Amino acid sequence: MRRTVGRGANYLVLVLLALVALAPILWMLSASLKTPGEILRYPPTILPEDIRWENYTEVFTLQPFAQQFLNSIVIMALVAVLTLVMSIPAGYALARVRPVAAGAVFLLLLSVIFIPPEATIIPLFQYAAKLGWVDTHYPLIIFTAALVTAPIATFVMRQAFLTLPAEFEDAASIDGSGRWRTMMQIYLPLVRPSVASVVVLSCWYSWNQFLEPLIYLRSPEKLTVPVALTHYEDPLAGPLWGVQMAATTLSVIPVLLVFFLAQRHVVSGLTAGGLKS
Amino acid sequence: MSAATQAAPSRPRRSLRTRGRNRFGYLLLAPQMIGFTAVGLVAIVWVIWLSLHDVNVLAGSQDFVGLDNYARILTDPSMITVLPNTFFFVCVLSVAGTVIALLLAVLLNQKLRGIGIFRSIVFIPALVTMVAWALVWSFIVQPEGLLDALLGAVGVEALPWLRGGWLTLVVFAVIQLTKNVGINVMILLGALQAVPQELIEAARIDGAGRVRVLRSVVVPQISPAIMMVFMLMIVGSFKVFEVVMLLTEGGPGVQSSVLAFEIYKQGFLLNDVGYASALAVLLFAVILLLTAALWQARKRVVFHEND
Repeated sequence: MRRTVGRGANYLVLVLLALVALAPILWMLSASLKTPGEILRYPPTILPEDIRWENYTEVFTLQPFAQQFLNSIVIMALVAVLTLVMSIPAGYALARVRPVAAGAVFLLLLSVIFIPPEATIIPLFQYAAKLGWVDTHYPLIIFTAALVTAPIATFVMRQAFLTLPAEFEDAASIDGSGRWRTMMQIYLPLVRPSVASVVVLSCWYSWNQFLEPLIYLRSPEKLTVPVALTHYEDPLAGPLWGVQMAATTLSVIPVLLVFFLAQRHVVSGLTAGGLKS
Repeated sequence: MSAATQAAPSRPRRSLRTRGRNRFGYLLLAPQMIGFTAVGLVAIVWVIWLSLHDVNVLAGSQDFVGLDNYARILTDPSMITVLPNTFFFVCVLSVAGTVIALLLAVLLNQKLRGIGIFRSIVFIPALVTMVAWALVWSFIVQPEGLLDALLGAVGVEALPWLRGGWLTLVVFAVIQLTKNVGINVMILLGALQAVPQELIEAARIDGAGRVRVLRSVVVPQISPAIMMVFMLMIVGSFKVFEVVMLLTEGGPGVQSSVLAFEIYKQGFLLNDVGYASALAVLLFAVILLLTAALWQARKRVVFHEND
């Protein structure tokens, strides 16, 4: 008897919790289908009375949203590639090759992880201006990968390579496998889950960036999704809530899809660095 | 290491082998180190240099002013509000964020039917970009928005959520916390599931209640993960930026502003690059000191089986 009550209480708390977590997202969905008149009504309606699909078409007519979406995806993919190129060899070197002063290099990279983007954005903007990179995607790809995602990824990859036994290395060298082949064909396939984590974490970081694109980018057709979302405003009347919520919904749906398709990788990618230490 | 010791008998061969190893290691580290030096190191040196200058963006002039920009931080009246606000987020988000995540992780660690669905749901806000989350919340807390309506339904007067003061800071803290709590819950849940079941059963047999088991067995076992979450929250709490920018722009005045937003405002809206750089160096120094202190404290607080 007591057990059943306890279980019931547990479910009650869990359902309340789920409501709190989902309420903002459900409210966004509902608002994205409301007419401008209904959206500001007080007290508000829970479900839209007349469904206004035009909010979704206006997302694309007010701004080149499809192009902006594509920009975000291309930048994200390139950040992930660059991060892998830098972090896999670096993580392998720190864990398995260990050249002299590997410890110092590791500490240096570790300290970079704690630098907030706000602390370096001013010199990086001037840097981008000197290189002629303002209003281009280069700083969002190169600066982000070199300064943020690759150091974190190196940390993750190092941990992954550390868990593998050193005997493979000896066995491989006895078999006459060179250093490159040992790394690429013996060790790398064994850390595939961590490679997936690194891809997720760098994609996620890039997709989320707001301050950096806000500062580097100018033209509407160059913008990325987070900055574009903030531009659904009427200069006189304030935010166009319906269209803005529709655009926000469109930005959330693909991420949720990826999450449900590859839940394990998404969770491990977003918690990487934490879990593995 | 092992390769070097194996080849120890013949000296020349060992040094050759070590050299090859070093060369290979640095070849692998090269892309990362070049990227880090060309971007990170340059940026840090540059921001320190800028903080010692009075920069005029329009005229393109940069005059050396020594520590004037740092002295200005001490006399800037808005810093009397901005620095405590920043400190407020660091304290509240780190402590509340860790405690709430721990409670949720314990709740979600139970063996109940359908628990997997609840775990996924708690994680969902973490999948929404911070900008989207802030925009949705700004829609919820606007005057005559959802929050006012919900409170009105239970007879509570609507409050001026975004008009400054501690209330606005609390609203920001809630928005920031609900967004990221799922990630911390997952980290702690992973640690909880790794706690050996025998330890818990042994404590139970010794007559410990559920709370006692949690406090004396489970928490010490997962203390490294708790510390990690706490550190992540501390570092992350300096980055409360999107919410401030999109909901109030730090206003009214600077009542709801934080250091990260002031850097952006001074550097890019008011074009006071020298002063903004000094603020950036301050932010950087504070974070570095805090994480170093925490790293030291970690050795004492965290339970280690082996040492």
